[in-house]
Amino acid sequence: MTYEAKLGGFADHIAQGGKVEAEDWMPDDYRRGVLKFIEMHANSEIMGALPERECLPMAPTLRRKMSLAAKIQDEVGHAQLLYRVAEDLGKSRDAMYQDLVNGRSKFHNVFHYPVFHWGDVAIIGWLIDGAALVTQAALLDSSYAPYTRVLKRICSEEQLHLRHGEHITMELASGTQAQRDMFQDALNRWWLPIIHFFGPKSNVAKDLLLRWKVKTRTNEDLRQEFLDRYVPKVLELGFSFPTPVPTRAESGQWLIKDEDIDWDPLDAIKRNEGPETERRLTTRRDIYQGHRWVREVLAEPAVHAA
Amino acid sequence: MDVYEVFRRSGHKDPFEHCGSVIASDSEMALLMAKECFLRRREGQHLWVARRTDIHSFKDESLLEIAADKSYRFPEAYRDVVAKREKARARAREVGAAAGESNR
Ligand SMILES: [Fe+2]
Ligand SMILES: [Fe+2]
Repeated sequence: MTYEAKLGGFADHIAQGGKVEAEDWMPDDYRRGVLKFIEMHANSEIMGALPERECLPMAPTLRRKMSLAAKIQDEVGHAQLLYRVAEDLGKSRDAMYQDLVNGRSKFHNVFHYPVFHWGDVAIIGWLIDGAALVTQAALLDSSYAPYTRVLKRICSEEQLHLRHGEHITMELASGTQAQRDMFQDALNRWWLPIIHFFGPKSNVAKDLLLRWKVKTRTNEDLRQEFLDRYVPKVLELGFSFPTPVPTRAESGQWLIKDEDIDWDPLDAIKRNEGPETERRLTTRRDIYQGHRWVREVLAEPAVHAA
Repeated sequence: MDVYEVFRRSGHKDPFEHCGSVIASDSEMALLMAKECFLRRREGQHLWVARRTDIHSFKDESLLEIAADKSYRFPEAYRDVVAKREKARARAREVGAAAGESNR
């Protein structure tokens, strides 16, 4: 079969809602696109563990500390599952780690920002995990089947994270003025990064991942779902949004005007020039190097079996 | 280091099900990794790991297709049982009447 014939068959398969397995034939740009996408997702899970790790000493009680530590372990676990799926597309885990710690690959914008207090844990656990869950649930129907299978597990754990974050939020929101101020302060800092999280308007004609149904919905569509779901919940608690302020349309939808969004901070992050990019990458690099001996020990088959 | 496929059984009602894979230097380490990755919340009661290279499958998936018409293996093939039952009842009435007559 010629390459063109194979490509045509693949395109038809995808167009009819067909799924792709790791061992199936796939065009190079599909393989590259899926790999890069899953690698970025994996990077984000493992980098996302860092800001919350910095929050561990701020936990108000031992139980909160234990539950946050468990959540962080879940996020690292998500990275493990995703790197494993990415590896089967032809890039070694070591190469992916190398690219991450040397700033050659990307991770989500929200993990380039600093954390200051327990209010940040509420925002990360509720609104950022909430935003992530909207985007990840949309990927459950992705054309790349091995990805959807690990996403099923990831999404069920994200549901729990959402509960965890909501629990902390409600505790702050129902507490003292100082506790409420913490949440509002965190919201003021995180709102724009959360809007950025969904990315700018998708270019449907050019977006290869949408064409191959690796992604099934546009950025603006996902952002809209998030706004409609969470804006009323935040307002009902008596908090207010900074710019870009969502306004209620006659349709009942919560809209954000494109001209209200300042994209400069996101562009800086794309150049790896976010507020915490350098420090977080350095932390990840130190962990990577410091744990080398663990990887080497693990790579030795059954010394203890002798 | 090898890729190990991981299988999990969640109780006694359902069989082992594939749930993912891990990379490890031996089966013992693979089990430990699998437990950390797939059993953090009692999602199952038992785990199996098997080296990916020890798992065999059809190279050519078209071999999995059923070669000839074997529709008789499927319940749809027997859907006309309803019409047949009607026919049989009608026939029984016919035969029954006849039998009744001869008994007399
Ligand atoms: Fe996660
Ligand atoms: Fe999460």
